[in-house]
Amino acid sequence: MSQPAASTGAQLVLDVLADEGVEIVFGYPGGANMPLYDALYGNPIEHVLTRHEAAAAFAAGGYARSSGRVGVCFATSGPGATNLVTGLLDAQMDSVPVVAITGQVRTALMGTDGFQEADVTSIMGPVTKRSVCVRDVRDLERVVRAAFRVARGPRPGPVLVDIPSDILKAKCPPMDPFAARPVPATPEYPDDAALDETIALLRAAQRPVAIVGGGARSANAVYLFRELTAMLELPHTATINGLGCATPGDPRFLGMLGMHGWKAANLAVNSADVLLALGMRFDDRVTGKPDRFARNAKIVHADVDASEFGKIVPISVALRGDLRQTLERLVRRLGRDKMPSFAGWAAEAKALGGALPADRAPHGELSATDVLDAFFAVAPDDTIVSTDVGQHQMWAAQRQRAIHPRNFITSAGLGSMGFGLPAAIGAQFAHPDRTVVAVCGDGGFQMSMSELATLRRHQLPVKILLIDNQRLGMVRQWQELFYERRYSHTDLSDNPDFVTIASGYGIRAERVEDAGELRDAIERFLGTKEPALLHCACFPAENVWPLIPPGATVDDAMEGAPQPEAIVA
Amino acid sequence: MTLSLVMHDWRLLERIVGLTNRLGCAYTRVDVHAGESHYHATIDFVGPPDALRRLDAQLSRLLNDDKEMSR
Repeated sequence: MSQPAASTGAQLVLDVLADEGVEIVFGYPGGANMPLYDALYGNPIEHVLTRHEAAAAFAAGGYARSSGRVGVCFATSGPGATNLVTGLLDAQMDSVPVVAITGQVRTALMGTDGFQEADVTSIMGPVTKRSVCVRDVRDLERVVRAAFRVARGPRPGPVLVDIPSDILKAKCPPMDPFAARPVPATPEYPDDAALDETIALLRAAQRPVAIVGGGARSANAVYLFRELTAMLELPHTATINGLGCATPGDPRFLGMLGMHGWKAANLAVNSADVLLALGMRFDDRVTGKPDRFARNAKIVHADVDASEFGKIVPISVALRGDLRQTLERLVRRLGRDKMPSFAGWAAEAKALGGALPADRAPHGELSATDVLDAFFAVAPDDTIVSTDVGQHQMWAAQRQRAIHPRNFITSAGLGSMGFGLPAAIGAQFAHPDRTVVAVCGDGGFQMSMSELATLRRHQLPVKILLIDNQRLGMVRQWQELFYERRYSHTDLSDNPDFVTIASGYGIRAERVEDAGELRDAIERFLGTKEPALLHCACFPAENVWPLIPPGATVDDAMEGAPQPEAIVA
Repeated sequence: MTLSLVMHDWRLLERIVGLTNRLGCAYTRVDVHAGESHYHATIDFVGPPDALRRLDAQLSRLLNDDKEMSR
């Protein structure tokens, strides 16, 4: 019997990736990962060359967020690897499954300050679930496979595998596709006593509210959340990562919760007597001052990660386990008993808040909120929206109409500018037939606009809705409100001509500055099958309302400054 | 708070030290013994009770991932 042909570490990595279901990798080659790129030459795994490693990490995150599959990125040693840091931390903060594979200098050079050497596993430790350097080719397959298992869950997140170039070149036996491998752990679910306690609290409740977070998306529990809220006629709200979990058009959905959340959502949570917190982690942008958050509520917290229980706010009941398993059991038990309907309270809660307040320009200039209102009115229902970070992100989150949580992707926990466009690229590769729109501000777009080249190369039909208010708007807003209008370094009034820049990359672009032209411009923009940029020149002084100041509560919410101040550029 | 921790990758100590510092805690004793396939660490932590509770929970998560990576 003939022996199978010898493989190399690099080939083995690609074989394992393919076996794990990987079809696409975002990355950038360099010295130490050249063996991997050599093996990639002619390999069926698609590789997308981003123009910066940071974009590769964000694109892998966008791919994973929009599809639920593991996103994969490659980078070389030293600067290539360190450029992944922000994207991996972004994935860590929002529990997004990403596997990063970095080249490392050859083992003999490690620790000598060799060219492009960095202690990558130490650097990446705090920004990943695990970061491991493989120093023996015999460990390679096991470690890469484990990276996928750990990235997938129970709570998803990023894992980094650092591979020295001599390990990538080393001869090794080929992957045995039939070898026995560890299987993922069985999902856990809460015990009956905790479920009984939850049901007892709900039965006694007068004003219960459910809050859903990104955990419902990760656990594929969205349909169960919808069933639960419908069954009890329960008013509900969402963290920014939980947007899209509610049934579209459900009148009991109160909108986004938190600092820039809808008034009804914040007031309902504040007056709730029972809070059902599902797959969310009580971020400070949600709670404000934690000891004044939902003061009258008993909190039932369901999460797969026990370290979240009691981390920020005290809870009454912990439902530890996979959220899908948890909700399946909860819904089944609730279905057996006669439960009260909370329809009356849901209507009352909805009436706690009105329309979103918005600033208008003194001379009728284009406003960002008008742009977003028009965009969401025209965009197809299944549009995937990826936002960058800042005011436009909050305006979009307030107005989005996502029918599924994988349709609204945003750097929520980390709030990393530069995320929007590369994440949209990842989402478009995951969903080639869907409309994918990157909603960006002028600040964040300039952090990753070199990815226009990636769009161009792949003729990827990502649309960029550029909200240009010539300011770092969120910081400017805080300077206006909390720093006595001392506008320190937030002026971007010397922005480049974005239409010319996009055109230089071969991307169709148009500028709109007149509200009367807006609707037609958005229809043209969304109607094209090509990549496109719509540059919306908006007035600079528009603020995001409502606003609960940092460390404050819903009682301190600001609903707007009636007269936008005149900005002197 | 004294914790007995099983680490499959001894470099995890670096993460434990980092997390301890991040949560405003400290350690007063670290004993590590190598076994055949893992390392056994006994660590005495000091700090505010809330922070120690969070540290304990986060270390559990870290060790679970370490265990999974070793399979």
